[in-house]
Amino acid sequence: MLLVPKQLMRAGMTGNVPYYGGRFTPAQAYAASHPEWRPGSGPAVAGGTSGPLARTPLPEGRPPAPPPPSRDPADTLLALQNLLDGGVITPEEYERLRSRVGR
Amino acid sequence: MGPVQVVVVGFDQPTFSGEVLAEFTRLREAGIVRLVDLLLVSRAEDGAFETLAAPSGADAELGGLAAALLGRPEDEDNVEPAVPDADDVDVMAWSLADAVPAGSMAAVALIEHTWAGPLKAAIQRAGGSPLEETWLSPGDLDVLESLIAQRKG
Repeated sequence: MLLVPKQLMRAGMTGNVPYYGGRFTPAQAYAASHPEWRPGSGPAVAGGTSGPLARTPLPEGRPPAPPPPSRDPADTLLALQNLLDGGVITPEEYERLRSRVGR
Repeated sequence: MGPVQVVVVGFDQPTFSGEVLAEFTRLREAGIVRLVDLLLVSRAEDGAFETLAAPSGADAELGGLAAALLGRPEDEDNVEPAVPDADDVDVMAWSLADAVPAGSMAAVALIEHTWAGPLKAAIQRAGGSPLEETWLSPGDLDVLESLIAQRKG
C-alpha cells in the first residue's frame, strides 16, 4: 500500500523542546552574552570535581532585574579598553569601535 | 500514556529472527518500554513509499497504527500538513521522507517509554520545562565511562 508521509512535530521526552537546529535559542544567546546577569551569578563555587565546569549555587527565587546598559561614553570607552587589555578585541577593532562612541 | 518515541531503522534486507520482538517483550514485562506498533516500509528510487506486509507469524494489523499516524490519508493528498505556525517550523517538523533514503527499506517503531511517565509528571510538578534532550555520542559515552571508572578507582 502506498504511503504518503506527513509532517509531524518534533518533541522531547518531557514535552515540546525548543529545537533551533543546534543554534542558541534567544534566551540562551542572551544569557551567553550577559554572563554577569545570569541567575545565581555569584562567585563560582568549587564543586569538588576535577571537571572544567564550576558549580554555582542554585538561585533562591527570582533573580534581580539586570541594570540598564550605561549610556555614558566614558563607561563605554572603559569597557572597550578592558576588552582590548584582555585580548578580546584587536587594536584595530578597538580604534574602529572607539570612533563610534558618542555618535 | 507515556512519551512515545519514533525509531526508524534502515535495512538492506530485513531478517526476522524474532530476537528484537523478544527483547521488546522482555522490556514490556519489566515495565520499561512498550512496542506500540511496528511498520515496515520500502522507498523506491523515485521517492515513493510503500508499506510492507507484517512478518509471518506477526499480528496482521501490525503497522496499521504507525501508517495512520505517519502517513496522510489518501483523500488528503493535497492538504497541507497541520503544523503549528512558528519561525523555526522547518527544523521542528519531520517526516519519514527525511529519514528513509530512496531505494531502501526501514522498520519504523513506535515505542512508549512507560518508565518515563511518572518522571515527566514529577518534572512538571517541580515547574521544570524542557530545554534540550539528546543522546551522548559514542565518543562522549567513552569519556563518561572513563570518568566513572576514575571516580570508582
